[in-house]
Amino acid sequence: MPFTKINNKMIEAKVFPGQRLFSQRGAMLAYTGEVTFKPNVMGGQGGVMSMIGRRVANEDTPLMTVEGQGSVMFGHGGHHVHVIDLAGDTLCVEADRLLAFDGTLQQSTMFMGQQGGVMGIVRGQVTGQGLFTTQLTGQGSVAVMAHGGVIELPISPGQPVHVDPQAYVAHRGQVTNKLSSALGWRDMIGRGSGEAFQLELSGHGMVYVQASEVKL
Amino acid sequence: MSYPPQQPPYGQQPYPPQGQPYPPQGQPYPPQGQPYPPQGQQQYQQAYQQTQAAMQMPPQGQFGAPLPQAAGGAGPTVHDVNSLPVNDNVNPYAFSVDLNGSYYLQKGKMIAYYGEIRFSGIGRGVIDQMLERNFNSPLHASDWVVAEGRGKLLLADRAFDLNSYDLENGNLTVRSGNLLAFEPTLQLKQSIIPGFLTLIGTGKFVAASNGPVHFVEPPIRVDPQALVGWADCPAPCHHYDHSYMHGLIGGLRHLTGLGGASGEEHQFEFIGAGQVLLQSTETLMAERSVGQVHAEAGVPGSGVPHQPGGHGGQQLPNVNVPGLGNVNLGDLGRRFGF
Repeated sequence: MPFTKINNKMIEAKVFPGQRLFSQRGAMLAYTGEVTFKPNVMGGQGGVMSMIGRRVANEDTPLMTVEGQGSVMFGHGGHHVHVIDLAGDTLCVEADRLLAFDGTLQQSTMFMGQQGGVMGIVRGQVTGQGLFTTQLTGQGSVAVMAHGGVIELPISPGQPVHVDPQAYVAHRGQVTNKLSSALGWRDMIGRGSGEAFQLELSGHGMVYVQASEVKL
Repeated sequence: MSYPPQQPPYGQQPYPPQGQPYPPQGQPYPPQGQPYPPQGQQQYQQAYQQTQAAMQMPPQGQFGAPLPQAAGGAGPTVHDVNSLPVNDNVNPYAFSVDLNGSYYLQKGKMIAYYGEIRFSGIGRGVIDQMLERNFNSPLHASDWVVAEGRGKLLLADRAFDLNSYDLENGNLTVRSGNLLAFEPTLQLKQSIIPGFLTLIGTGKFVAASNGPVHFVEPPIRVDPQALVGWADCPAPCHHYDHSYMHGLIGGLRHLTGLGGASGEEHQFEFIGAGQVLLQSTETLMAERSVGQVHAEAGVPGSGVPHQPGGHGGQQLPNVNVPGLGNVNLGDLGRRFGF
């Protein structure tokens, strides 16, 4: 658990030799000790194929590798930071929202299109997620950025959670992700409620929602 | 160690009970004390009382819906001139100054005031004599006003977090855009480092930061955009990540941006006794133009070359290298080691 929260917009990470962290480029605020920051051309873990996959999927947020010994403070863009501890399970998050994560986590790109067909494409458009999302699996911590504070909503079988696509941040666990629409004739003439699309998450896990409809 | 400490494992958490009772309403309208100011100014007093009578707050829940209350029962506090804090934060984003005399504030940071307060621009009128003692930064004069009079003055700046700092015979340097107001017992001077202002003396000042301010002790290296200011540190200096920047590849990388940069090759390094103030984000407040310092050799940022033709080493001419734009050969030479 290398991340300690300093305040709601700032985290501190301890770096030890032999361990590494990935963080978004330019997100370092300050550090003590001897720490090096190297741009990660690959954009994360895996080989060249993973890099190409990320480029194709537009999930190639510029990352840097943080190594050395000391402690580093991270924060970015005035966004609220939320630390999620993973214990062997999976977190799905948009790559732009990743502030920092443990090098021990397995990073992969997931195609979301198979969940929902045409509606999946619409969902990608509405949420700004695109058709791909980044998956992190394993033991370790992830720091995720959100505009406004983050609330966690548990998802249990039989109790799906509906989230405004713009307020959706991330989810973890065995969760199916479906866009439900309530489009009516009112939306066609511009008199809709503004809540025509909702993300329906069902399964078993947790969804993280930001208190804002501003996308990063 | 782990954040948050009392986090139940996901999935085990019961669904939050529905139909939770609305938080109890226990927030009485603040008692109306004697109006401010206590002595004199009859006219103002009458006007104030009339306003209060006219503004009779409806009892809570009269229109079916209770007044919005935050979780925990602490609702939106209604302040009047007496309940406003004295030289303290009203909330993280607003600061209340109990003004009796004069106060310096940056233009546009006042959001409201009670009482009789005049705002006059710096550099005009009779207050210039006072300025000579406190305001030793003429380049910033156009950004500052003097508030004079009695009353309560509310300061805020674009929902940035405000903090007041007490200096006791100390010094603190702060980014010029982040300083809101200071007591006239302090002296304001322009720092040698461009874009920063130094406050010297004893007194209180108010500064803004994007997110709460975090204090750290040197030695530390700080991202330039995350720096709010520093106190007492004798050696703020630049630090370039040598292992990454050196050599031919490093130079080309720096010039062309190819191969990527981590964005963290350059930091401010602080050594020595003191404290460094960090803001928790890299979004800066709009940098105010602080003008040019007087053109004078030895003054950073004044546009005068350092020791032209002196014994500071041979000056290499600027050469236009096709494709790279105007490249300072002296800089390149130093980088490649010739």
